Parts: sequence; structure tokens; C-alpha cells
Amino acid sequence: MKVLLLKAWSLYVRWTARYPAVRSIVPFIPLVALWAAIAEAGVFPRAFLPGPVEVAQSFGTLVYKGILPEYLEDSVVRLVVGAAAGVALGIPLGVLVGLNARAREMLWPVLLFFQAIGDIAWLPILLIWFGFSLTTMTFVLVYTVLFPVVLNTALGVRSVPEDLRRAARTLGASPARVVWEVILPGSLPNIITGLRNGLGFGWRALIATEIIVGTSGIGFLMFDARRAGSVVEILLGMIVLGLLWYIVDGWVLAPIERATGQRWGLVTRE
Amino acid sequence: MTFRENADGVGQVSLQQAGRGRPRSRRPGGAGGGRGVPGIEMGDSVATAAMPRFPRLWAALKFVAPLLFLVLLWEVVVKAFGVEPRIFPSVEAVAGAGLETMQDGTLVRHIGASLWRVAVGTSLAIAVSVPLGVAMGLSPAVSIFLTPLFRFFSVLAGIAWIPIATLWFGYGFGAITFVIFNAVFFVVAYNTLLGVSRIPMALRQAAASLGAGGWAMLTQVILPGALPNIVTGVRTGLGFAWRGLIAAEMIATNVGLGYMLFLARDFYRTEVIVFGMIVIGILWLLIDRLLLAPLERATIERWGMVDRA
Repeated sequence: MKVLLLKAWSLYVRWTARYPAVRSIVPFIPLVALWAAIAEAGVFPRAFLPGPVEVAQSFGTLVYKGILPEYLEDSVVRLVVGAAAGVALGIPLGVLVGLNARAREMLWPVLLFFQAIGDIAWLPILLIWFGFSLTTMTFVLVYTVLFPVVLNTALGVRSVPEDLRRAARTLGASPARVVWEVILPGSLPNIITGLRNGLGFGWRALIATEIIVGTSGIGFLMFDARRAGSVVEILLGMIVLGLLWYIVDGWVLAPIERATGQRWGLVTRE
Repeated sequence: MTFRENADGVGQVSLQQAGRGRPRSRRPGGAGGGRGVPGIEMGDSVATAAMPRFPRLWAALKFVAPLLFLVLLWEVVVKAFGVEPRIFPSVEAVAGAGLETMQDGTLVRHIGASLWRVAVGTSLAIAVSVPLGVAMGLSPAVSIFLTPLFRFFSVLAGIAWIPIATLWFGYGFGAITFVIFNAVFFVVAYNTLLGVSRIPMALRQAAASLGAGGWAMLTQVILPGALPNIVTGVRTGLGFAWRGLIAAEMIATNVGLGYMLFLARDFYRTEVIVFGMIVIGILWLLIDRLLLAPLERATIERWGMVDRA
């Protein structure tokens, strides 16, 4: 028995070495099996905990009806637009705060305070201002993404060694060029980390706003299902959310972070 | 982790600036530079350093001043443009709302309910997730196998569980505490797992060859080594939990800060909403800056060497 287990494990290790994707998929197999077993055994009422097969079926029907792709698209588009706007605002602000001591003294407490208020606490007043609309959701997302990006950019800017900036200046670079060719690349790893954190928070904020504002999107799908008492669709929504973020984070953001760290990260190491 | 430096935002601003040498302060001579040059740095920082008697108080003042300026600006703008109270309240209205909710005890009730939920959910989550994380992290094989699972669930943690939590536990205390538990649990378990699996095998073997038994190994090598990660996990998890709390209270309860805000929305009482937002901001700043950040810094200073080994 033990030999068999060891053999299986060595096979698994070899496979994961060859195809790294295996490592992020195989661990889910026993989990799903366990879930199916618990659901089959009827420990909890079926209405409270449906099995994986039912969820897969409902995935099929929702895709067939076109609801799931549409909602998914809505959510992703909102996230992308919000993140893009947040980054576009956040990087210049972060550079300003990082470079200028006076601006930092003025803005840092304000930034910390507004970050502490948290995106979701803005929802009630946003609903008064903009109603149950797309503007409300976009505002929340931009707000969420903005702060981690600003704070991390400022941190990154300050971590660029003074010598490098002076060296570039001595070689005749204009201040704008110093920002573009020294400061921004130097703080890029931090900026990406900020973006990753911001998107992590933004993702959750998006779900919450979709639940509360409720017009479309995965969050709405889940809460609508909750109103109808359909656990199957809630679970489906959760799995879709998890998978999507897993893919975005693991296959897009983390590699970018690693790449910028390797390419430009030396600056922070001094 | 990336927020570590802002952690000292309040206390050490002035110190850091002196040490770091802002653009205009020339760096004195090659080898001896950097640290031991108080004489030279003094002249430079006299303007900002006219406060060595109460450095903390001064730092706090510096922190509060921009916020006070913001309040002033808000008052002036609201007065000058005659902003309608239904759009945005004036400072007095917010202060009035604050006073009113304090006097009739609703504020205390809402804050109490929110904090109680956070306390219960968080302590339950920590009590379960740390032992679990340690147990899983001890074997490299197990931790490699389980890492993707925990990453998946820590992504889902918190808000995404609100719909199903309300269905399982009904609206109220149970569902919200579950959401908080959930947000903290997976993040802390994942971070503990990471922390334990990153302790260099050499350290564990060294301790073992010096005769450390299971218990000594756990309390003197594993837990201290993983502590920085655990505390960072708690801080991140609580950050998610706090947002989750506000969201969940808007959706699924009849008491708590989130509910206070959402109820005020029904009556277009912007002054109560803004007051609630300020309370939420201040509460989180207090929790994060006075409780979590110092804790994190202390554990990293005390036990953080393991990372560098």
C-alpha cells in the first residue's frame, strides 16, 4: 500500500514538473469527490447542498440560455474599465506623492483615511447620487483600485535610489525623462503589486455592488438565485468567480509581477 | 506585506525623512555617511525638527492637519455653493447627526453589534486556521498539494459567500459572523501554510539534532518562524472581513454600521450616511494602525529573521 502511494506521488511530482498546470488542477479532484460524497450521503438536505453534477447541469443550461456568458461579460467589462480608470488616476497621483515631500505630507493622511472608509461604505450615498446605475458600480470599483495603486506607486517611487535619479540628471536627462525612464520603470514592480492588490479588493467590491445594485453580473446572478432559493446557481456563481479570478491572478497578474520583478526589480535591491 | 512601510506612516515620518536624505541634503563623505551624522543633518531638518520634545504629538498633529483642512474645505464648499442637504450635508448637520445618534444610544448599539461580530468571527477563524495551517505546512508534500486549493478559496473568501450564508444561516448574526469567519479563515490558513513551509529545513533539522522533541519544535521553531506570516495573514484577512462586514450588514441584518448607513439611505438622510462613513473610517484606522500594524512590525522585528535565512 505504502509503495503504491509513493509510486503515485512520484508520478505526480514528475508530471507537475513537466506540466505545471497539473498542479493547479489535480488537488481539486479529491475535493469535488468529497463534495459529491457528502451531497450523495444526504447529510444535509438536498436543497441546502446540491451535488457537483447538478451544478454542472445548471452550468450547461445557463450557458445554453446565454445568461451566464452575458453576466460574465458584464462583470469582467466593469472590472476592466474600473481597473483601467483606477490605474490611470492612481499612477500619476502616486508619483506625485512619492516625489514631492510636501504633497506627501498633505495627502498621505487623507489617502489613508479614505482608504480606511472602504469602497462599500460609499454605496449608500452613491445610490442617492447616481441611483442604481452603472455609474455607481464604476465609482466603487475605481475607488477600490485607486488606493492600493497610489500607495504602492508612492512606495515604489521612494524606493528608487537617489543616485540613479541624480546620475540620469547629470547625464542631461530632463525631469520628465527622469520620471519616464528612471522612476516609472524603477517603481513598476510595486505598481504591479498595487494593481494586483487593488484588483483583489475590486473583485470583491464588484460582487458586493452587484448584489446590492443588482442589475446584472455574476454577483447579481448569485443573489437572484438566493431570492429564488436555488443553491445550485449560487454555488455555480461562486465557482465561476473563483475560477475566473484564479485564472486572471495566476496566469496574467502573477507572471507580469514576476516578469517586472526580474526585469526592473534590481533597482529596489540597491 | 507591501503596505508595511505605510505602517509607520504616523509615528516615524520625521525620522525617516531625516535619515533618507531628501534631494537637497547632500550626502556627507563616502564611507562614514548614512547614519552617524547628526550634526550635519541637524541644520537641514531644524525646520521640521523644532519638536523633539513631543515627537509623537507632533507627528499626530501633522497627520490630523490635512484632515482638518479637508473638513474646512468641505464646509466652505457646501456653504459657498449652497449644496442641497439631500446631495451632501454640511459639517454641522453631520455633527448634529453624530450627536443625536450618540445621545439616543443607536450609535453605540450599531458599533457594538458590528465589533462583536468581527471579534467572534475573527477569533473563531484564528483558533481554527492556525493549527490547521501548521499541520498542513509541516509536510512539504501536503503543502504543495493543498496550496492551490487554499489559493482558490482565499480568492472566494468573504463577500462571495454572502448569498449562500444567508440561505444557510438565515438573515442576522449567524450569516454575518460566518462571512467574517470565512474571510479570515482561508487567508490566515493559507498564510500559515506558507509561513511554515518556508521555514528552512536546515533550521528544523538543526533543532531536531540538538534534541528538540515535537512540542519544543512546534513552540520554538515552527510557530515563531511562521508568526510574521500569520500576523500578516490576520491583517489582510481582517481587511477583507471588514469590507465583507459592511456589505453583509447592508444586505442581511437589522443592526450594525452597514445597516445604519443603508437605512439612512431610505430616508435620504445624507448626514447620517456621511457620519457613518466617518465612523467606519476611523474605526478601521484605529484597528489597523493601533492594533494590527504595530503587532505586525513587532513580530517581524522579533522573529522575521527566518525569512532572510
